[in-house]
Amino acid sequence: MNQEFKQKYLDKYYKAKQKGVKFFPDIIYKDMIVSFGLFLLLLGLATFVGVANEPKADPSDSSYIPRPEWYFLFLFQMLKYFPGNLEWIGTTVIPGVAVLLLFLLPFVDRNPYRHWSKRKVAISVMSVVVAGIVGLTMLAAVTTPPQTEAAPLATSLSEQIALGQDTYSIQCVECHGADGEGGEIIGVEGLEGVVLKPINDQDVMYTFTDETLYNVVNFGQPAQGMPPFGKAYGGELGPGEIEALVAFMRYTWDDRAELPPEAEQRAAPPALAENEVPSYEVHIAPLVKRYCISCHRPGKKNNNYLMQSYAEVMTSGDHAPNVVAGDLGSNLIRMLHREEIEAGGPMPPTRALKPELIAIFERWVLGGAPETAEQAAQLAAPALPPPAETLQVSPVITITLTAPVTSPLPVTATLTVTVTP
Amino acid sequence: MSTAQKVYTWLDERLGLTGIYNVVLDRKVPKVNWWFTLGSASLFLFVMQGVTGIFLTVYYVPSPDHAYDSIQYIMNGVSFGWLIRGIHHWGATLMVVVVSIHMLRTFYLAAYKYPREVTWLTGVVLFLATLSMGFTGYLLPWNQRAYWATTVGTEIPGTAPLIGPLVTRVLRGGADLSAVTLARFFSVHIWFLPAIIAATIGIHIYLVIRLGISSIPDKDD
Ligand code: HEC
Ligand code: HEC
Ligand code: HEM
Repeated sequence: MNQEFKQKYLDKYYKAKQKGVKFFPDIIYKDMIVSFGLFLLLLGLATFVGVANEPKADPSDSSYIPRPEWYFLFLFQMLKYFPGNLEWIGTTVIPGVAVLLLFLLPFVDRNPYRHWSKRKVAISVMSVVVAGIVGLTMLAAVTTPPQTEAAPLATSLSEQIALGQDTYSIQCVECHGADGEGGEIIGVEGLEGVVLKPINDQDVMYTFTDETLYNVVNFGQPAQGMPPFGKAYGGELGPGEIEALVAFMRYTWDDRAELPPEAEQRAAPPALAENEVPSYEVHIAPLVKRYCISCHRPGKKNNNYLMQSYAEVMTSGDHAPNVVAGDLGSNLIRMLHREEIEAGGPMPPTRALKPELIAIFERWVLGGAPETAEQAAQLAAPALPPPAETLQVSPVITITLTAPVTSPLPVTATLTVTVTP
Repeated sequence: MSTAQKVYTWLDERLGLTGIYNVVLDRKVPKVNWWFTLGSASLFLFVMQGVTGIFLTVYYVPSPDHAYDSIQYIMNGVSFGWLIRGIHHWGATLMVVVVSIHMLRTFYLAAYKYPREVTWLTGVVLFLATLSMGFTGYLLPWNQRAYWATTVGTEIPGTAPLIGPLVTRVLRGGADLSAVTLARFFSVHIWFLPAIIAATIGIHIYLVIRLGISSIPDKDD
């Protein structure tokens, strides 16, 4: 641009300025409206859209599909067109040249004119670039496959404990028992008959820090038969899940930690009213999840009896059907009562369910084994007849204590009656 | 003279407030349109990012062991932590959008031409620094998305001939993403880049005031 042209521009600009407005208040007023609008937009986005919660970084999980921030997506997409040996063209040459051109623009574009009609080349080039970037971004957004099942996320402590409980039920119950009580392992391939120490007592809880627990689960103790669970070591659990597991163990078993009331409520068996028919969805599924799933899922020894859904509970298994609506002689009920039948031994193999939990299973089967809560509500609540055997007991047994019991501790007596018809 | 006036005069004598007022606020500006508000909107967003960012550093811990949990704590434990983080998160996106549109408007209205070439140059620095803020900030939550996006992002310069692998090592502070990478990105995100941006904005706006905002070109320009 020569001197004359420059002077002409400056003179014209000076005149435009004289005809213009004052920065304060005219311009700054517009500026503030726009900034205030953006501020409201930010508040709205932060409040109503928020920030998506993501699982913690897991360097071992290379199955995660990387996804850059959206404004880098176009770069990401562009690289796909430069495979193999050409990659460096997409990664270095093109972005490098683009940045250089951006810097040099005022010196490359020597055209002295400013109105768009006299800058057709520059405007077209930039418009093509912008359209390309927008196009590539949209293409990338459409073609990036969705993330494969994201691991469940826990945000609050009680959610974390609940997630830990679920994880424990699925992964650990088969060996360590429903409450970490240990005992002899029954029904687990390779470890049949091994006797485990409890992991829910002070011995373990007072000596293992959270970190040690984390590591035991993560690396396992292969020498003693405890398999590794961390993804990096061939297991199924990500760091978030193992942390949840540790939180669950700590808050449920360590008598120095207090379980948050919310989590306690969640862990309690679902409430059941006097005449209510339990449903699979509300009452049975949580029990199955907690006491049975660990063994009754694919890949475990279980006579092909899977218990992950209503349909599976009702129909799968080598001795199917294991649940027959209305029939207390169903395999499942008999096995819960610790009978040894053709389908197998007592269930769960190591320790009996508490009688009140078995009663829920019984009321469910008697009520017609409904799946959903609505179906259960429609079924008339049957008065649960006492178990068949006791019906036939006519004599009243009266126990008279001949000596007064003197003990500061509560005394319990157990009476077992076997009736032979 | 009232006391307030006295104080003002006293300060003015020493600080030159009237001079600043005349130069910065009382200047004449050609008639412009709403697109011209985007520069100051960028400035506003930068300030918002600075303020919310400073609050975030109160609880954020830049180590792989604690980063994720500290963010969880900000979201659930700190009062209005979710709001601060939400604003910072969306502010980043909005700032990239607004700065880019501001750049395009100066391009389409030919504002980068004589005598505003240097304004444009400092603008490009601001643009690249803003994008770098996005890149470095993305890693800080240390979640899956962050970790893997950064793994791939730092691999990209590694494909450059000769110096590529070196660049990747420098970005990561080692062969793999680690505590060093996080510390590096954190420091770049909260010290280096904001310092560069703040200084460059200073020059940028000085130039805007000195040269005046361009007028919208007419058919003869
Ligand atoms: C396949 C059976 C099996 C499964 C499943 C299993 N463990 Fe173990 N676990 C063992 C064995 C065997 C040992 C070592 C025996 C011992 O020390 O009593 C052990 C030991 C442990 C110990 C250390 C006990 C100590 O005193 O050293 C902890 C803690 C533990 N397991 C937790 C878990 C958790 C949590 C899970 C669920 C993710 C789990 N285990 C799943 C078999 C299993
Ligand atoms: C420690 C692992 C383990 C747990 C926990 C467990 N089972 Fe089993 N279950 C088995 C095995 C193994 C079999 C195969 C029969 C056998 O070996 O006794 C089986 C078989 C069964 C069968 C017979 C299936 C068929 O078609 O042959 C039923 C019914 C059953 N279990 C119900 C339950 C219920 C209900 C629970 C939870 C309250 C439960 N089991 C918990 C291991 C387990
Ligand atoms: C943090 C980022 C930025 C801030 C805070 C900022 C701020 C501003 C402000 C307040 C103005 C006054 C005029 C207007 O608002 O339109 C301006 C003008 C200008 N900006 Fe920016 N800017 C930024 C980024 C950029 C970028 C990325 C570019 C281009 C590469 C750029 C190029 C220019 C030019 C050429 C002008 C002069 C416009 C004219 O006189 O008409 N700026 N900037």
